[in-house]
Amino acid sequence: MKFRGKIVDIACLNHFSRVITTISKLTKMCVLRLTSDNLFFVLSEKVANGGVSMWCELSQANFFDEYQMEGVSTEDNEICLEVTPENLSRALKTVQNAKAVKLKLTKKHCPCLTIAAELPTLSSISRVVTHDVPVDVIPRRLWHEFKEPNMPDFDVSIYLPPLKTMKNVVDRMKNLSNFLVLEANLNGEMNLKIETDLVSVTTHFKDLGNPPWGEDASQDGGPSQSRDPQAMAQARVDIRKLQQFLMGQQVNPSKAMCNIVHERVVHLILLHEDMSLQYFIPAVA
Amino acid sequence: MQKRVTFVEQLEMENVLTKGRGHVSTRSMDPERGGLESLPRHLGRETHVDMSPSNQRMKTSHIPQTLMSVPFLQHPALATGRRRHLCSIANVYSTEHMRQQMKRHYLNVLHTYIQSSVYTSHLKAFGKAVHALSRVGDELWLDPKVKGLALRSVNSAHSAYACFLFSPLFFKNYNLRPATEHGAETVKCKLAMKCVLPLFRCLNSIERNVEQCQISVGSPDDQVMIQFFCRHGITKTHNLRFQESEALQAVFASHLCPNVLKAPARLFGDVVMHFPSSQEEVTLSMTPLRVGLKNYCDAVNDHMKTMYTEMSLHPDEFDYFHVGVDSNITFCLKELRGLLSFAESHCLPVSVYCGAAGKPVCFSVEDMVLEATVVLATLYDPESKDPSQSAAMTLTDATQRCAEAAVLPVGSCEANIGEPEDIPAVTEMIASSQGSPMNVPPALMLPLLHTAGVCVPEDHCSSANSSPASSTICSLLFRAVSLEQDNHDSTARPPVLAFYSDEEENMEEDTDSPSL
Repeated sequence: MKFRGKIVDIACLNHFSRVITTISKLTKMCVLRLTSDNLFFVLSEKVANGGVSMWCELSQANFFDEYQMEGVSTEDNEICLEVTPENLSRALKTVQNAKAVKLKLTKKHCPCLTIAAELPTLSSISRVVTHDVPVDVIPRRLWHEFKEPNMPDFDVSIYLPPLKTMKNVVDRMKNLSNFLVLEANLNGEMNLKIETDLVSVTTHFKDLGNPPWGEDASQDGGPSQSRDPQAMAQARVDIRKLQQFLMGQQVNPSKAMCNIVHERVVHLILLHEDMSLQYFIPAVA
Repeated sequence: MQKRVTFVEQLEMENVLTKGRGHVSTRSMDPERGGLESLPRHLGRETHVDMSPSNQRMKTSHIPQTLMSVPFLQHPALATGRRRHLCSIANVYSTEHMRQQMKRHYLNVLHTYIQSSVYTSHLKAFGKAVHALSRVGDELWLDPKVKGLALRSVNSAHSAYACFLFSPLFFKNYNLRPATEHGAETVKCKLAMKCVLPLFRCLNSIERNVEQCQISVGSPDDQVMIQFFCRHGITKTHNLRFQESEALQAVFASHLCPNVLKAPARLFGDVVMHFPSSQEEVTLSMTPLRVGLKNYCDAVNDHMKTMYTEMSLHPDEFDYFHVGVDSNITFCLKELRGLLSFAESHCLPVSVYCGAAGKPVCFSVEDMVLEATVVLATLYDPESKDPSQSAAMTLTDATQRCAEAAVLPVGSCEANIGEPEDIPAVTEMIASSQGSPMNVPPALMLPLLHTAGVCVPEDHCSSANSSPASSTICSLLFRAVSLEQDNHDSTARPPVLAFYSDEEENMEEDTDSPSL
């Protein structure tokens, strides 16, 4: 198993750091899957996570100047590592002005992802900083847990309102209740509702727009045609999970969407030019 | 570029000064010139001309008689227009004009300076010093001396010590009361850090609002009074009770350190930035070829989870680099960060003095009006931290006992100090209250005692791990004070020669302490 990557461009490094910081805000530990073309940050659905799962896909060519990867074997040309994204994020944050940053899979006292950066200095000799982030190699037999999730058979798909606005709303609502009902319809309307014994608060968003999944949807007959545009699909989710998702957003997405499977799951998708992030929050009763 | 100039004869000299400049600067609109133009009226300008770039209509130029009669301007080929054009340019550079400009600039600067006194920035520095000290310990010792005001702090494990010495020049007024009846120069007071820190917590608001700050120590009822005279006539008075207490002072012989580094604070800031703020300990390794810094992880089970960071610096990056002894020292980073941020905000270089592992490391910053030092204990042995830690613990007992004992007066000891007089200024800084240099470098803290130039062997300190050790250290100190004591004669019990008159009884007890 071998992995070596080098980032030379400051903008790429910055972007990469911000992606990792976003991931680190979402979860404490996640799995990093390295293939020859992509990097995936995967969080699989587990009770320990509260049932949330995450899939983040980055295209390596957009970040790395050099990228060499040799997987476990020729037919399974992949590397799966369990890593704490916060360590990675911290390491990358300190080397933002580096001339070059190399990521390597090494074995020191334990398998590590080594980040070696060359920093510019006033003298002719550049400073080398090394961060060793300990990782755990995931054996092949567990790889099936970290596969790309299927697009759920959603009832409504809608574009999200500006994430900052949504975050402000959810932050205020968190003080009042632990659960939030997210509902949306195909008319571009979305409501965030909380209800307690004393108070119920609803925030309405209008004119959000619905993504045109019609032609892609392989579900029965295309939900967009048969469904009443006014009918709301809703899901009751743990407000902290939603807040965690909104809090971590460092990179402004080009597209932010939400798919709701009525009473089952909320599927949030963020698309950027070179990265996509999907986050599943299960509904609670 | 064509200059279209129109000449009007009847304008006064005043206009010439402004409009002359207008001629020159209209094409390239100088924002600074515009700024100067908008000076307050009372500085002596009656006319205030609008230098708008859109004003393409040229201003006039009145040529003074002296210029007109100059021979080279009488050349027949020089047309009137051109002559006046030349004169207008010359006006800009005339001495009169220059003088006016300089006067205006000076008044402007003076005005700004009066508004923001340099002492406000000093107050900010003082506040930053308090912040830095708050990162070290929970108590602040205020020690006004003739040399200046010393602020000290020690951490609870007595493994870190910080001292900020502000010379009298730092303050607008620095008044020391004459000696009290105890014979001490001034009062040494100990304040709780949590009382002092909130006063200086928000430095930005202090800078904006406070015009003056007055600190009085030893006012009638054992209080330190800190008064802030703020804008709008508001005065905030804080009275803090203090405990009279002998300051603990680190005894550190910088000039005896084999390794000395000096670098701008920026370098250290950049280096320390790579380590997370939760990182407790780092190991600094020094060889003549490079300086390396890495984080130190002591617990074995943490190996799996903690991130390791390592970096190395080249000697060229330092302003001064001298490594006499290859060493690896491990110390706590937390207490140092305060000093580094202080140094960075003042753009002062930081000097590092260290030796082998186990010997304390000293970081110091100095300026014309202030000196700051942080002395940190280092791990004696990388494998077993315990000896130095237990030495630390027992040393606290020792220091309490010794602290009760004498602060030795200058006279009797100074004449016989084995140490030569050419001690560099850096040791002066950590001098005792009597003002003479301190030389003994045991691993950890010592009270404010007068110690002559005896190098306490390191193994004595590290082997101190039970109660006899405290007495060992205590008697070592006393040994050090003795006048005729030889370095290597460890069997003789030194007579204690000088002490406070009202603490004689304590001294006698101490001389009865067990032998080495």
